[in-house]
Amino acid sequence: MELSGEEKKIQALFSELKTADEQTAPLFARTWNRAQIAPRRSRVFSFALAGSAILLFGALVSFALWSRYSAGSLPTNVAKENPPKVVNSTPTSNPVTNPTTSGSDKPAPPRRNIAKSPRQRINARHDFAEIADNRKLAQNAKAISDWQSPTADLMNSSSDELFSSLPQLNENASELKSFLPSRPN
Amino acid sequence: MDIAELKDELEKLHSASFGWALNCCRRDHAEAEEVLQTVYLKILEGKARFRGEASLKTWLFAVIRKTAIGEYRKRVVRNLVFLGSSEKPSEAATTAGAPAVIFEKSETQKVFRAALQKLPPRQREALHLVFYQDMSLSEAADVMGISIGSARQHYDRGKKHLREWLSQTETEHGIEWRRKENPGAV
Repeated sequence: MELSGEEKKIQALFSELKTADEQTAPLFARTWNRAQIAPRRSRVFSFALAGSAILLFGALVSFALWSRYSAGSLPTNVAKENPPKVVNSTPTSNPVTNPTTSGSDKPAPPRRNIAKSPRQRINARHDFAEIADNRKLAQNAKAISDWQSPTADLMNSSSDELFSSLPQLNENASELKSFLPSRPN
Repeated sequence: MDIAELKDELEKLHSASFGWALNCCRRDHAEAEEVLQTVYLKILEGKARFRGEASLKTWLFAVIRKTAIGEYRKRVVRNLVFLGSSEKPSEAATTAGAPAVIFEKSETQKVFRAALQKLPPRQREALHLVFYQDMSLSEAADVMGISIGSARQHYDRGKKHLREWLSQTETEHGIEWRRKENPGAV
């Protein structure tokens, strides 16, 4: 590569720098030997790293097991005190969601243990949806039966009472009965 | 190439490698030595293997560059984790007593080094590989892992910046020196 005047100047500065660096460069043998020793250190480091990773894993596993067992050994009173609300409203739902209506004296298992498998969970979800639908239907039926026409009041009159009640003529009932056609007994 | 043969070749390239490592480590001697040691370790462990696809020098310089970048990142993370508990020794401390101190007394070299440090890393690398290591632009591109076109651009821009910087500082220092030599002069 042909160099111009400026480039030659830069080249000269770089070559000065190079000379200085060569004087300060460490010996090859020293760097090489250090590199040869270093793998042992790195192996030791990797052993320490692996050991700590195993310890950490063990701690995590034991914590997971502990939390699982502690959840499994919940007092049964808790389940009795807080029964699922859906139990009474669904007499036709499957027995999984209705453990307290079995009539036996056995304590109900905690709710957490009821739906363990995904299939059971899906079933429970279906039941809940069904219950909600039934409730909604019942509410709708009640609303329909309670419904009254807004113009129903217009059909009422003050003489309605007269038509719907017996005449009051200061006479006793036996006398009034005499007006009724006689029926053979 | 067996390890003994490779060792001989590495020994021949050692001072050039150190110069390149210095450039990659922003002229920190201790860091450059550590990087070079890590590179030799990689070669010994077989993590860095020369397959003869490029020249040994190009391959070695690419490995040094990558290692220096990796070490720099590690150091940044370490400093973030420990929040600067391990204080980095000052440049004066690392070079104190070294022959470089005497050399640095040369004002032009000081200015030149400062100018080099102000250049973007790619431009500095391109200039170093061409002027310091006497490599061609194609070899420099191989070391930097970029195309020859990009290498040429970095080289040209770096040269331009360096020239501007040097001429600017030269003028400033020239006036200052002239004043020192002849205080009566304006």
